[in-house]
Formats: sequence, structure tokens, C-alpha cells
Amino acid sequence: MRRTSVVAPLLLIVIGALFLARNLYPEIPLLDYLAKYWPFLLIVWGTLRLAEVLFWSASDKPLPRAGVSGGEWVLVIFLCIFGASLHAVRGFNTWWPRNITVGGLDMFGESYDFPIEGQKQVSKTPRIVIEPFRGNARITGADTDTVKITGHRSIRSLDQHGAEVANQSMPFEVTGDANSVTIQDNQDRLSGNRVRVSSEMEIIVPKGASIEAHGRNGDFDITDISGNVEVISDNAGVRLQNIGGDARVDLKRSDVVRAVNVKGLFDLKGRGGDIDLQGIEGPVTVSGAYSGVIQFRNLSKPMRFTGQTTELEIEKLPGQVRMALGDFSAQNLVGPVHLSTRARDIEIADFTNAIEVSVDRGDIELRPGILPLARIDAQTRSGDITLSLPPASKFDLTASTARGDATNDFGAPIRSESQGRGAELRGMVAGGPVVHAHTDHGQVVVRKASAEDKPLTPKSDATDIPAPDKPLKKVEQ
Amino acid sequence: MNGSLLCAVQGPIMMITLGVLLAMDQMGNLSFGRTWPVLLIVFGLFKLAERGALHQGDRQG
Repeated sequence: MRRTSVVAPLLLIVIGALFLARNLYPEIPLLDYLAKYWPFLLIVWGTLRLAEVLFWSASDKPLPRAGVSGGEWVLVIFLCIFGASLHAVRGFNTWWPRNITVGGLDMFGESYDFPIEGQKQVSKTPRIVIEPFRGNARITGADTDTVKITGHRSIRSLDQHGAEVANQSMPFEVTGDANSVTIQDNQDRLSGNRVRVSSEMEIIVPKGASIEAHGRNGDFDITDISGNVEVISDNAGVRLQNIGGDARVDLKRSDVVRAVNVKGLFDLKGRGGDIDLQGIEGPVTVSGAYSGVIQFRNLSKPMRFTGQTTELEIEKLPGQVRMALGDFSAQNLVGPVHLSTRARDIEIADFTNAIEVSVDRGDIELRPGILPLARIDAQTRSGDITLSLPPASKFDLTASTARGDATNDFGAPIRSESQGRGAELRGMVAGGPVVHAHTDHGQVVVRKASAEDKPLTPKSDATDIPAPDKPLKKVEQ
Repeated sequence: MNGSLLCAVQGPIMMITLGVLLAMDQMGNLSFGRTWPVLLIVFGLFKLAERGALHQGDRQG
């Protein structure tokens, strides 16, 4: 009988389990984990095969001619391609080595630096357009009437001569008039893909400027601009600070978007990792797919967040909202608040006006904190619901669970009934707004909030987003 | 160690090596672009050992 390996069935089981997990817990960024840890699949696979071979050998069974069959190698190659492209797509550092070294010689050449420089006299409120380029730009507003660019570009080439030719083929240009300036790095004039280029720019502009920045791959750091700011990039980290006008950010991919003190509206679209918004005075809209830690603090106008599985609307946010994997916590909000999401544990404290929370899977804990209560509606399909209401609250309660217990701290006015495997609390406490809570599977607790309740604090600040003054990260060549 | 066992463990060990190199690339600073010659070395060592085992077999047989 031909001996068959246990590895193939095991692999099938693992793949099946992964897909199942993805279906059951869509919020877990499985693809991200896979993108990061796929090489370990190879190690596990190889180890299993090795153990198998050694076991067969030890028990004097006939050994296969090759420990890993040709078919398996093909699978391994597919896995590598899949893993590598997943890794690249998910926005980690590009996996495929950019510079393969053979005997100390860099196959793709070495990096040569050339300075870039330009300046232009402008009005107090010019419009500044940066044409798409690879690399980082730091744009700072100052009391000046010139636009001044300094920096350098790094050209990776086989030799100095090639780099010089490449550098001359793409002259750095600053064009336009006093009211409108265009900054062109002209990287796309570069012909052939033997040469790679990326630029670092330090741009000083008049405070009153408005900015339209386009990028291909690299960070933008924009500070002290009183006009509007627009950033459009294929892949960028964006940091905005002290912007006097509106800010619009449109990214295909990003690791972090951070904005502090924006006087106008803030609009973010795209895909990315972390988001951190603080002190935005205009309305905020954020839409797209974001896999990292999302934080909002001190927003003065309505905000609307539309993620892949989460929708959030808040009228005003004097406090903060923090969303990380599987968690949602918020303090000090002005309603009406509307939140719907698939799988998160939710904690919301100190809110006013109506609130509506619906979750597919996850616990909900609400602590209004402030009297009088407003309408509350909390629903989950699977999870516990805890309402911590101030002792003097007035409300009209309907809280039910289809499967689980109900606990009531408010005593007589509220009747508790058990129905089949579930339970219901119903009653009017001194007459007040409707408070409605329902879970299909879990406990319902209505309790009196007390001073000893631990204050809600963000779970951990360890993952806090780095301050904007950290140096721009280097663009991979 | 006999020849057939050597043949049989070769594939798994190559696969583990590849996995380790790729994992190191992913986790740390040693990029696969720098470490790939390790694969050649491991493969070469195996071929050498195989030759040795074969010769031994010849002499015995």
C-alpha cells in the first residue's frame, strides 16, 4: 500500500478552520494575520513532514523516495506567491527584496543622493499644488511670502553615471504665478525601471496657503496652514496639525492618518490602519476600511463614520471614542448617537439625548451618567446588556432576553417575568422616556449606577499613535 | 544514516529552512534578499551527504 501523508488532510482542516473563523468572526483581521505569519505555515508543514519521515524510519516502514512530493512543492510555491502578494496588498513592507545582493554587489545598484531646491515669490494666500511623487513631504506654514523647497532625491542606479543621467532627465520644477504654484518632481519622466527614485521635500509656504498634495508612496506632514488642505495618495501616512480651513484626505492605502486642530470640515476616504482625530471644529466624515485603532476626540460638529461593518453617528463629541479590534468604548458624547456594528463589545458612558446601539455579537454596557435620561435602544443578538442608570432616573423600561437571566436593581416598579428560557423586565419608574434593551442570547442587567463604579478608561494607551513630530519614515526604495 | 532516509528528510528540511528565512524576513531585519544563499548551502550539503552515503553503499555492496 502506498503510504500517504497526514499533512495534506491536516492542511485542509486548517484552511477550513480559517475560513470558518472568518465567517463567524468577520471583525478579526484574519487576512492581516495571514499576511504577517504565513511563513510559519511552511515551517509547520516542513516540521510535520520531517516528524513523519523520522517516525516511519524509526518504525522500519518503507520510506518514500522524496520527503516532499513534487505536487507539494508546487503548493509551496503557490503559498509563497499568495503570501507575498497578500503581504504587499495589505500594506506591510513589500516582501519581495528590492535589492538582491550577489557577492556584495547590489543587483539593483546603489543609492545616489541629489539635492532638490526651488523657490518662488507668492502672494499671502497662494494655492499650492504638489504633483504626484514617491517620497515624503513636510509642509509648514510660516510668516513669509515665498514658497521654498529644499530636500533631496535618492536615485537607485547601477552606477553614478546612470544616476546622474536619470537626475537630469527629471528636472525639479516650481512653476506658476503669485497665486498658484505647482511643484513638480517629474519622477514619471524617468524611463525604464532600472532606476528608482524617491524624494524628501521640506516645503515652507506662507501661512495663508491652501494645499493640494498628490503622492504615490510616502508620508505627508502638514502643519500651520490656514487655507484648505487636500491630500490624495496611493499610499501615505498623513499628519495634519493646525489647519485653518477644510481638510480632505483620500488614500488608497495608509498606515496612519492623524489630524489635530482643524477649523473646517474633515473628510477621509479610503483604506488604512490607524485613525486619530482631535479637535476638529467642522463636521467629520470618515468612510472606508480601517483595520487599526480608531480614535476621535473633541469633535464640535456632527461626525459620521462608515466602516466595513461599523456605522457610527454622533451629534457632538466633547469626550472621546476609541475603536480597536473587537472593542468600542466612548465617553462623554452628545446625542443623538447611532451605532451599529457586527462584532464588538461596547461600552458607552456619559451621553445625553437619544442613543441607539445594535450589535450582532458582543456585550453592551451603557451608563448614561447624566439626567434626565433620553430614549435608549440597545440590541444584540448574542451578548449581555448592562444598563447602569443613575438612582434618580425616570424611565419606562422594557428589557428582555430570549435566552438568559434578567436582573433588576430598581425593585418594585419593575416586574420581572420569566418566559420559557428567557426573561423580561417591564415597568415604569416615575414616568420617563422609553428604555428598550433586547438580547437573543445573554443576560440583561438593569442596575443603579454608584459612585464606586470604575470610570471607563481607554483599554490601553500602549497602542497610542505616535506624535506628529516623529521623523517621517523612510520610503522603501 | 542510510541514503533513503537522507533523501526523505531533504524535502522537509528545505521547506523548514525556506519557512524560517521567510519568517525572519517578515519579522526582523534580515531580509530574504540577503539570506537566500543559505538555501543553496543547505541543498549543497545534502547533495554532498547523499554522495557520501552512495559511495559507502558502493563499497559495502
